[in-house]
Amino acid sequence: MNATRMNSPRITSALPTTRNENWKYANLRALSRTEFTQAPAPAAALIAEIAALLPEPLEGYARLVLIDGHPIETLSTLPEGLVLERRADGNESSVAVAQADRYFAALNARQAAARLRLRVSAAQPCALELLCVAVGSGHPALQLQLAAGASLRFIERHLSAGPASVGNLHLEVELQARAKLEHVRILQLSPKALHMETLDMSALESSTLNLVQVQWGGQASRANVFLEHRGAEASIDWRLAAIAEDQQTHDFYVRTAHAAERAKTTQTVRAIASGRGRIGFNGHMIVEPQALGADSQQSLRALLVGNDSEANLRPQLEIYTDAVTASHGATVGKLDADMLFYLLSRGIDPHTAEDLLKWAFIGDVLARLPVPQLQKSLRDALAHALPGAIAAETAS
Amino acid sequence: MLTIKDLHTTVGGKKVLDGLCLEVPAGEVHAIMGPNGSGKSTLAYTLAGRPGYEVTSGSVHYQGQDLLALAPEERAHAGFFLGFQYPVEIPGVNNVYLLKAALNAARKRGGLPEVDAFEFLTLVREKMRIMQMDEAFLSRGVNEGFSGGEKKRNEILQMLVLEPTLAVLDETDSGLDIDALKVVAAGVNTLRSAERSILLITHYQRLLDYIRPDRVHVLARGRIIKSGGPELARELEERGYDWLLSAA
Repeated sequence: MNATRMNSPRITSALPTTRNENWKYANLRALSRTEFTQAPAPAAALIAEIAALLPEPLEGYARLVLIDGHPIETLSTLPEGLVLERRADGNESSVAVAQADRYFAALNARQAAARLRLRVSAAQPCALELLCVAVGSGHPALQLQLAAGASLRFIERHLSAGPASVGNLHLEVELQARAKLEHVRILQLSPKALHMETLDMSALESSTLNLVQVQWGGQASRANVFLEHRGAEASIDWRLAAIAEDQQTHDFYVRTAHAAERAKTTQTVRAIASGRGRIGFNGHMIVEPQALGADSQQSLRALLVGNDSEANLRPQLEIYTDAVTASHGATVGKLDADMLFYLLSRGIDPHTAEDLLKWAFIGDVLARLPVPQLQKSLRDALAHALPGAIAAETAS
Repeated sequence: MLTIKDLHTTVGGKKVLDGLCLEVPAGEVHAIMGPNGSGKSTLAYTLAGRPGYEVTSGSVHYQGQDLLALAPEERAHAGFFLGFQYPVEIPGVNNVYLLKAALNAARKRGGLPEVDAFEFLTLVREKMRIMQMDEAFLSRGVNEGFSGGEKKRNEILQMLVLEPTLAVLDETDSGLDIDALKVVAAGVNTLRSAERSILLITHYQRLLDYIRPDRVHVLARGRIIKSGGPELARELEERGYDWLLSAA
C-alpha cells in the first residue's frame, strides 16, 4: 500500500462538453473544478476512525474495505473461494482520452493506488460486502471474475467519510458460463462529494446478473456503464433507484449490448428529483444482428418534486435483427394528486404524505434488496432524504 | 354536528353546488340521493377539502368550527372521514403503515400517545373480522390489486379503526354484490352512536335496507330539493327523480 500521488492536472481540456449527447446532463462544471488525485494510503489513526464509522457487518458476508481505493487488510476478511490479487496492469491506460465515456476509466488506470482482482471459484457460493470509503480523493479499481458456475452475493457500498470526497471507481465484472451474481450497489454520498464510475460487465452463456442500485447524496455523480451479453441466454436485470435533492446531479449512461442469442435484459429506473436536483439517464440498448431472440425491456420513470427539479430520461434502442422482443417506456411526472389527497384525507401531514409517495415510487426497486438487515439499514440511512416515510414505516 | 348553509362550489370554473343547505344532527344517519351529475360527489369532496373544489360562498360548520378553514388533514384530525367512491391504489405504501400513521396522527391531535404495536394489531384484527377481510390485506399496498368490493371494505375498515365523528360515505355501495353490501353495511352500523353522524351518498335504495337512515335528502342541480324520512328513498326507487325535478 504505497502512497501514490500523481500529478493530475485539472481535466478541463479533456472533458466532453454538453454538446456531447451522452454528457448533456452531467455536472461538467463541478468536474472541471476537481482535481482527481490519488490520496496516499491512510494512516493507522484514520483507519481506526473510519472503522468506527462503518456499518454493522452483514451476517454471512465477508468484507473487503477500501479507503480512497487502498485495500485495508485490518478491516477486511475474505472467505475461502475468493482470491484477492493485485494487478500490475492498467489496461485502460492506452485508451484514447478522446473517447469521453472511457475517460474516467483511463484516469483510474493511471492513478489507482491498487488495482485489485477478485476471483470467485465455483467451489461454493460466496457472499462479500465491499465497502468503498471516500475520505479525500481516490480511484478504486476492482476486477471481479466469476468462474463457470460460480455464485456470488455481492454488496457494494460507497460511503463518504469526508465532506467533499472525490471517487473515481472502475469496476469490471466477468461472468463465465452459468455464473450467477446477485449484486447490490448502494451509493450514500456526503453533500459535497463527487463520484465518477465506470462499470464494465460482461455475461457469458447462461450467466445471470441481478443488480439493484440505490443512490442518493453527493454534489454530482456520473456513471458510465457498459453491459454486454456475450453468451447465449445470458440474463441481466438492472434496477436503479436514485434520489437527487437540493442542487445534486446524478447522471447515468448505460449501454447494454446484446451480442448473443436469447440474451435478456430488464432495466428498471426509478428516479426522484426534488429541490433543484437533476437526474439524467440515457439507457442505450443495442441488439446485434447475431442476437436472435433477444429480449430487452426498459422501464424508466422519474418523479419531479417542486418546480425547479429536472429529469431527463432517454431510452435508446438500436436493433439490428428482426427476431427480437423489445419494449421501452419513459415517463416523467409529478406526485399523483389523487394519491396525495387520499393520504391527506386520512390525516397524514403533507410532508409525510409526499415522503410516503416518494418512498413508494422507488419501492419496487428497494423491494429487490435481498438482505432484510440491509433493507433496515437502508431505511435508516434514507431517513434524511425521506424522513416522513421512514417515520410512518418504522411505526408499524 | 354538521351545518351547511348556502354552499356554492365550482369545479374547473363550473358551478356545481348552488346554494346547498343541510343540517345533520349528532347521532343521525342521513342519506343523500340524486341523479347523476347533481353534485353528490362534489359535496363529499368539498367537505373533505379536495383541491380544485372551490367554495365561492356559503359556510360549513362542523361541531361548531369552520370546516372550510381547515386543511384536509386537519379535517381528518378533527374527526371527519371521507369514504371514497373510487379509492385510489397506492402501490408501495403498505396498508398497515397507512392505518397506523393515520391513527397516530389523530391521536397526536387529541393529545394521546402513539398506539403501541400490540394494541394496534389487536384493534386492526378485530375490525378486520367485522369486515371479513383476510389479514394478508394488511401487508399489501393501499388498495393495490384490490377488487372493487375489497376497496370498499378497506374504506370501511379504515373508518372503523379511525372512529370518526362524522363520516361521509360516497357511493360506498357501488360495485358491491349483495353479500359484500351486507358486510359493508354491518361495518357502518357498528359505528352508529349518539355522538356520531353519517352521511350516506347513494344511488340506490338497497343500501338503505341495511343502513336505515333517519333522513333522506334529494340533491339535484346543486341543492337539496326535497327531504323526508326513509320512505322517501322507497318512493324514489319506484318513481325516479323526474317528478321532483319537474316540480323543482
